[in-house]
Amino acid sequence: MIAYAVRRLVFALTLVFLVSSAGLMLVGLAPGDVTDELFATGVSAETIARERARLGLDRPLVEQYAAWLGRVSRLDLGTSLRYQRPVRDLLAERIGFTATLGAAALLLATAIGLPLGVLAGSRRGWLPRIVRATSITVLSVPPLISALLFALLAARTGWFPVSGFTPAPAGAGWLAAASNLAWHLTLPTLALALPFAATIERLQADATVSALGEPHILAARGRGMSDARLVWRHSLKPALRPVAAIYGIVIGTLFSGSFAVEFVSGWPGLGRLMYDALTSRDIYLAAGCAAAGSLFLAVGTIVSDVALASLDPRLRRQSS
Amino acid sequence: MAAGSLVLDGPDRPGTPPAAPARGGELVASYRSEPVSFNRHLASRAADDLFSRLTQGRLVRRHRITNEIEPRLAESWALADDGLTYTLALRRNVRFSDGEPFTSADVLFSFRAVYDDATNSQLAGELKIGGAPLDVSAPDDHTVVIRFPSPFGPGLRILDGLPILPRHKLEAALDEGRLREMWGTSTPPSELAGLGPFVLAEYTPGQRLVFARNQNFWARDAAGVQLPYLDRLVVETVPEQNVEMLRLESGQLDLTTDEARPEDVAAFRRAAEAGRLQLVDVGIAIDPNLMWINLRPDLKASDSKRAWLQSEDFRRAISHAVDRDVFVNTVYLGAAEPIFGPVTPSYGIWYTPDLPVYAFDRTRAGSLLNGLGLADATGDGVLEDRSAAPVRFSLITQKGNNVRERSAAVIQDQLRQVGIVVDVVGLDQGAVFQRFSTGDYDAIFFGVDITDPDPALMAEFWLSSGAFHFWNPGQATPATEWEARIDDLMRRHVTSLDLDERRDLFAEAQRILAEHVPVLYFAAPHVYVAVSPRVANATPAVTKPQVLWNAEVLAVKGGG
Repeated sequence: MIAYAVRRLVFALTLVFLVSSAGLMLVGLAPGDVTDELFATGVSAETIARERARLGLDRPLVEQYAAWLGRVSRLDLGTSLRYQRPVRDLLAERIGFTATLGAAALLLATAIGLPLGVLAGSRRGWLPRIVRATSITVLSVPPLISALLFALLAARTGWFPVSGFTPAPAGAGWLAAASNLAWHLTLPTLALALPFAATIERLQADATVSALGEPHILAARGRGMSDARLVWRHSLKPALRPVAAIYGIVIGTLFSGSFAVEFVSGWPGLGRLMYDALTSRDIYLAAGCAAAGSLFLAVGTIVSDVALASLDPRLRRQSS
Repeated sequence: MAAGSLVLDGPDRPGTPPAAPARGGELVASYRSEPVSFNRHLASRAADDLFSRLTQGRLVRRHRITNEIEPRLAESWALADDGLTYTLALRRNVRFSDGEPFTSADVLFSFRAVYDDATNSQLAGELKIGGAPLDVSAPDDHTVVIRFPSPFGPGLRILDGLPILPRHKLEAALDEGRLREMWGTSTPPSELAGLGPFVLAEYTPGQRLVFARNQNFWARDAAGVQLPYLDRLVVETVPEQNVEMLRLESGQLDLTTDEARPEDVAAFRRAAEAGRLQLVDVGIAIDPNLMWINLRPDLKASDSKRAWLQSEDFRRAISHAVDRDVFVNTVYLGAAEPIFGPVTPSYGIWYTPDLPVYAFDRTRAGSLLNGLGLADATGDGVLEDRSAAPVRFSLITQKGNNVRERSAAVIQDQLRQVGIVVDVVGLDQGAVFQRFSTGDYDAIFFGVDITDPDPALMAEFWLSSGAFHFWNPGQATPATEWEARIDDLMRRHVTSLDLDERRDLFAEAQRILAEHVPVLYFAAPHVYVAVSPRVANATPAVTKPQVLWNAEVLAVKGGG
């Protein structure tokens, strides 16, 4: 078990390192650099040249990368070229918001997608068809668009904030703080969760159909076992395996997908920071945001592995 | 510069000061980005400038409606007979937000910070004249003497950009070469001090800046009421512009810090008619988008292509070929005016109406193109040059900027009708700058923000040596005779202290530019500003920040 944990940790660290390195190199290779914005604001060419030299942007990208690697080896993600602040501090200010939104969306997607998938996979008639059609419709709407639609809904009804997050007043109590958080979280969570709920529903429906066709289930049905018992007691666990297998990727893409939703809904997570990093060519901040995104993916993969192992004894034996 | 016409009428319309402004209350504004630093020397973006203007004072300010400079921390000034030396009398009994007194030592300190090599202030360029710094001295606590290195027409208006910083807070850092490290966005608000109308009360990254009234702000209104009127001003970060507009329309915002987009104007007009918004047509923008063709001698193109692409008649033909009414209606949905040069009517005294123009005339465009040896020999509707190559060039524009993308599409369509093929290339801003700075392009459609219409402050555009002389920047010696003439006129314009003479010199420079059309202008949009019905006392301007430039007089209708 220790060897397994070490393997997973090494995998996670390698993933984070590779993704953040790729983020830095790709942004560094894109045309322009962080001082381009200064040109548009009328800063003199002499000041811009000195700023480029001070930031080390006049050196080859490989040299900049090597210097960054040196800092990373000391657990320092570098200093944002745009904000002139440690990348670590900037990430720390926002990562909690992204994690909260991602976790809420994951819970909601699972809570909607799994039961609907079981329902659609185990029933006949108009209900599964409606569920399937709804899922396909939802899947075809990108979270960016659904976030805009929800913003429009909020603006027209006033039921929810159109965007942003305003914390509860100090001393308001945990219940008021929690309900305030839920009120602000509702629309971005829905925008992010619905496509994933649809994905889970489709997978779970197919897996349920497949599981219900297994010989032992057919035999049990032949012996007169009730449909509900067959579905929820005997076919659910094996049918969960495909969903558990992709859960890690769902978690990773959910967090990276949250960047677009965060941008539209004004959720103060990593999304806006990543956008700023990319548009301003802030190579160190882009690397940091990429590292955070890959960290979510790595954690998701571990969670997925644990879930799979708990569902499948053969995998437990392999990992030990 | 005219204040512009108002869409709405009535006693409470923006631009009309209320009879009795009420003190108190809070307004919520939005910004699509947030400051990258609280230290203006390190940050020049619009959000940084707004932060600085709300929290820090200036010696003088350019009034965004009258365009005159008005007293701020300097209550009066006089220019000596040498035409170089200004003596400024500072306002007395002024205190920073933390209670420390403001004196001439703070002004000296602020200039030191600008010119400090270790700081490499982003304000340094605009506070130098011909590359030389201003000489600043202080004979006493309430007098500052500023000597310009050479006569400078705009005079003290360049001080509009200089924040006066608290020496008592920052001098040690400047002495140690650490000013760059000061006042990043993680600095606790209690460590900041300023002379602006507001103080930062709270900053939540990615969410909002909350400004509270500066209890020590020096300004009072005509009735003796201390400004600002507002208790608090909240600036929410709303990155997505569609969402920003929804929030404004639904009453969750009182104002935005950008003008309305053309596509939002109709909806805002309906909201204004329903009493949910106030919408103001402030006037015509002073910074219209422009198109230029690469006239650098190192243009990467075949000799035959260079011959027509860089010729003056080709640019004249383009100007003749584009129907500006179509441009106005397609790009700005009618909310713009056709133009032929960079100086729009909002430039006030600098606007010259009777310049030569190459107006829409496809027949004339065809004649000019034929004169360049460009003809449709194959009958496919596309012109060919003398080497039988099609007349085709690429036009780079900024991807994601709807107005620029639509503009490029209209130009492409209009030029297609005279047989010119335009390949529109959308690139992000950084890539556009890179292509421009390396000269690796045929033509670009772009725009830059202009904050002050005084032409002397845009010398980098007019002078052949300038970085913003887009078509052929940074020339060691003028490449053409007409550029040499503009250089001469603009140098005299910049150094003249006689306003009439400056206006005449600039009119002549405009005339030469209009004749040789190195840059092509098609339309200048009307600047529309929308604010909620709660906002009183707004006097929007055509330049950014349209409403918050005089945030100290904004008020909530009926008070807080």
